[in-house]
Amino acid sequence: MATTVANPPTQGEGIGMRIVSLLPGLLLLAAVGYAGKFIEQSIAHYTKANHIVFPNIEYVLWAIVIGLVIANTVGVPRVFEAGVATYEFWLKAGIVLLGSRFLLGDILHLGGISLLLVAFAIALSFAFMHLIGRAFGLRPKLTSLLAIGSSICGVSAIIAAKPAIGADDEDASYAIAAILALGAISLFAFPLLGHSLHLSDKAYGLWAGLAVDNTAEATAAGALYSDAAGKVAVLAKTTRNALIGFVVLAYALYWASRGEAKAVGNKAAFLWRKFPKFVLGFLLISLLATLGFFTKPQLASLANLSRWAFLLTFAGVGLRTSLRELGKQGWKPFAVGAIGEVFIALVTLGLVYGANRWLHL
Amino acid sequence: MQEPIAPTARRGLSLDIYAVALSLALALLVRFNLIPPVTW
Repeated sequence: MATTVANPPTQGEGIGMRIVSLLPGLLLLAAVGYAGKFIEQSIAHYTKANHIVFPNIEYVLWAIVIGLVIANTVGVPRVFEAGVATYEFWLKAGIVLLGSRFLLGDILHLGGISLLLVAFAIALSFAFMHLIGRAFGLRPKLTSLLAIGSSICGVSAIIAAKPAIGADDEDASYAIAAILALGAISLFAFPLLGHSLHLSDKAYGLWAGLAVDNTAEATAAGALYSDAAGKVAVLAKTTRNALIGFVVLAYALYWASRGEAKAVGNKAAFLWRKFPKFVLGFLLISLLATLGFFTKPQLASLANLSRWAFLLTFAGVGLRTSLRELGKQGWKPFAVGAIGEVFIALVTLGLVYGANRWLHL
Repeated sequence: MQEPIAPTARRGLSLDIYAVALSLALALLVRFNLIPPVTW
């Protein structure tokens, strides 16, 4: 997901002060996101009024591009940093609220297919990443982190796996930089590829959710294609995120068996600690929607709240991407990550084609 | 022996719980019409 998480208030720090420190960054997120929405609507009005045929460029792209331009020209001053870092919080809140747009049956159907495809993709990508990691002479734990990052949940998975497999800070920062750089590239490459392959919304959404690393980038890559594709991408990515504990546990056991990481005590407790709890919120809201707890207009309101939360997320994706920082990493982790990503993209595309044909998406 | 929880994991956990709490609170406000309809 992301490198930085918003810190919850600590005992020594007043909650009021904490909220005040978040305000400038939150206002910046809202301003950048709203500017993206305003540009999309202005272009649509102008082209319609003047009978000009022009492709609709979604607010998602404008928000990310405006954020990228600010972050990589004038930079984001320190006073805004804490608030901007909350974009991951808005991402999770947006995903939970998006649960209202799914019936539980749809989640079980599409989530089940995603789970099956993710299991295939993980097994293949791990084997492949370790093969090319060895060929490029990367340290084994760096290769493990890259494999976890590119097949599960990007940066969050790397952060979760680092203490469990006893990797050092340098390996983790190389792996994070590589995954972030590749996530930024995927964000723009996937919609272009999806359109050129004429993928349906469901097939594209599933592909983006299975192949794009970070949840924020996967959500944005889906939304850039279409609203329906964005919805499916979030569901597929959430399913992938839910597996984080199992993969990290497998790696922790592997490195512990070689005496290079701490032994894992209670495996069930380990799995629960690593499980992304917002998935439970997503399922709960979906269950309530399925049981008819909300009226139709109320469901529309919840869907719109989810869109507003994602608007802040997309602004944050741009504002947190520093091209200078991404360029500072070594070329080898990037090369291994890039080759692995292309492999995963191809494998998942093949799986999505297969699922479309035999499992009726 | 219980493995110590890394600070990052604890932060991630809190972030998830805050996000779920806010979303549920908003869902209840919408459900009981305590906020006006949200438009896009």
